[in-house]
Amino acid sequence: MYRAAVIGLGRMGSTFDDEIQQGGSIFLPYCHAPSYVASPHTELVAGADLHAEQGAIFAQRWGLSAQQIYSDYRDMLAAEQLDFVSICTTARHRAAIMKDAIEAGVKAIWAEKPITLSLAEADDVIDLGARNGVAIAVNCSRRYSPFLSEARRMAQQGELGELLQITAYTECYISHNGSHAIDTMRYLVDGDVDWVFGEMESDEEAAGEEDLRGNGYLAFENGVRGFIRAMPTGAAPWEFDLIGTEGRVRSLANGTDTQYYRWVPGGLRDEGLPARAPFPLPLSIQGTGLSVISDLVKAIETGSDPRCSAEDGRKALEIAVALRESHRQGGRRVDLPVADRSLRILSVEIGGDAVPARVRRLRQKPVVA
Amino acid sequence: MPEKEFRAAVIGLGRMGSTFDDEITRGGQFFMPYCHAPTYTASPHTNLVAGADPHAEQGEIFAGRWGLERGQIYADYREMLQAEQPDFVSLCTTARHRAAIMIDAINAGVKAIWAEKPFTLSLAEADEVLELSTRKGVAIAVNCSRRYNVSFNQARRMVDEGELGEILQITAYTQCNLSHNGSHAIDAMRYLVGADVEWVFGEMESDERAAGEQDLMGNGYLAFDNGARGFIRGSPTGAAPWEFDLIGTEGRVRNLAQGMETQYYRWVPGGLRDEGLPARAPFPLPTHIPSSGLSVIEDLVDCIKTGKQPRCSGLDGRKALEIAIAMRESHRRGGRRVDLPLTDRSLRILSSEIRSDAVPARVRRLQSNRVAA
Repeated sequence: MYRAAVIGLGRMGSTFDDEIQQGGSIFLPYCHAPSYVASPHTELVAGADLHAEQGAIFAQRWGLSAQQIYSDYRDMLAAEQLDFVSICTTARHRAAIMKDAIEAGVKAIWAEKPITLSLAEADDVIDLGARNGVAIAVNCSRRYSPFLSEARRMAQQGELGELLQITAYTECYISHNGSHAIDTMRYLVDGDVDWVFGEMESDEEAAGEEDLRGNGYLAFENGVRGFIRAMPTGAAPWEFDLIGTEGRVRSLANGTDTQYYRWVPGGLRDEGLPARAPFPLPLSIQGTGLSVISDLVKAIETGSDPRCSAEDGRKALEIAVALRESHRQGGRRVDLPVADRSLRILSVEIGGDAVPARVRRLRQKPVVA
Repeated sequence: MPEKEFRAAVIGLGRMGSTFDDEITRGGQFFMPYCHAPTYTASPHTNLVAGADPHAEQGEIFAGRWGLERGQIYADYREMLQAEQPDFVSLCTTARHRAAIMIDAINAGVKAIWAEKPFTLSLAEADEVLELSTRKGVAIAVNCSRRYNVSFNQARRMVDEGELGEILQITAYTQCNLSHNGSHAIDAMRYLVGADVEWVFGEMESDERAAGEQDLMGNGYLAFDNGARGFIRGSPTGAAPWEFDLIGTEGRVRNLAQGMETQYYRWVPGGLRDEGLPARAPFPLPTHIPSSGLSVIEDLVDCIKTGKQPRCSGLDGRKALEIAIAMRESHRRGGRRVDLPLTDRSLRILSSEIRSDAVPARVRRLQSNRVAA
């Protein structure tokens, strides 16, 4: 059994699964603590959080004793000799914590997204992780979705023919949930992005470093083209559309529906019709978090890259930064990689991060007496 | 033949002028009659009185099929315009000569022109035709037929009446050359959004194609002046043939597989965190489904009588061409956004349909489908 600990004992570290009422996008257990508890590979042995009340709630819920909870994660890393560490804090400190965890000798890191705020931070972490042979999985969870994994299998085995287009309607800030959207596009297309064109919501937002919404056109090296709409999407919430010469997979309504289309005879001039066929389900579907842990165990034991690696996390960030650069440069295509590594996006999730999100939410919803 | 109000003639007696409807085996994208001669024949407003084509055999086939006398068929359209004084004239020739013929028809005193697409090859030609037709009060409808398609009309009505909420996005998967069938794709996007394009970004199929004047495939990002954004994929679309996806805050309409299916989605309670789910509801059909071609004629009759602009006007035809050219300019400038309108009016696209236009398309098709002896 690998010894696992969580840093940041709030929503993603502990309670996120409580919010989910329907499977599809994710299956439970999904977030960190419940996954470590349920996995046959791991034992949850510790948690760290600056806020004492967060630690107390976490200990209670996951059956840890008071001394297994640390207010300083560095003390925990030194004391607990961890194999796995989850980084569920605000993204503001993620790079620093990842580096401390790598240097403390952990075998695997399961990090929330975005991987870092700046490209330089991501470069540092990836370099250090590679030197120390630490497996880093970024929690872009759609890589662990049975449906999207199946779509990618269909693409790789030629069932969709030559891939042509990936479209994402994913209302989001381009670093925060944009990490998911951009990573999923790369995952489905199985190619890297050569250049992008982007439009942000306003010139003012594009000029700043705060997280922001925007749209983009992505040119993949394998010839596929991508369109992402991260501006508001109205009646098309979180959708991916993967189009090939022979078939098409659409993941709809935040992953709650997946559709598969392929050609049948017919049509206006007998040129064929794309008809909906049952989407091929895999033989088993496990909790999303358990898939991440199995993937990291494999990475530890065989040296393979995690399915969503730190490199993937960096690329999602770099594409988001490049979309913003395109707008900053007056609307022109921007080639990757981005030369200026100091560029960063202050992921929207770091706003107000001095107070735990749980407490902020309690303040927003005052209880009627 | 019963006397009807308007005298109509067709110039270019081939596929769109005469026989296109024979190819269509099911409704959806079009309802019959659609192309020019069968529509004039069926309309209660028009009598088909003449046709013009430089190829004698085309004229004979046309006369035979539509019951015209030899004297009603002309080799030179200018002679026909002079002799027949038509009220309506359809321009179904190669696009190469469309501007010149429109100008001659306007000068000959026709009341309405029903022109095939693309409107013209160059922006300057389009400007000239529009200036002249405005001065002479001639109604010009460009045959971007989706404006006369019942499903698109319903979608636009839903937009106008707020049923889709604020319009956010129009996506078109429309494999085409950007002038030829791109005329349809771009015009349908403008029609559905109900707004104009301020700037575009485009990527063409290659630098070589973008540098030339030949019609070409490409993709583009369109910024509309009402805040909606458009994405068009004119490069190959595989398993997503001719599709339009119109997304608003409250609802969504998808027109699929060349118009053979239309889907409507709107919010219902539910979803992952009870944030709502877009559920499919029956697409609201109108109480009556008109034929595509007859709708054009009704529209033009209305224009003649009231002075209004046709639903797909010459202005719309020029805008589709201008957007296609701007997308190509964007590529030519190394992938920069390009603002509309374009200042260089000499820019043009040699629509792919003008290739080999010295020989009628019917004859070219016979030559390419040689019958085994």
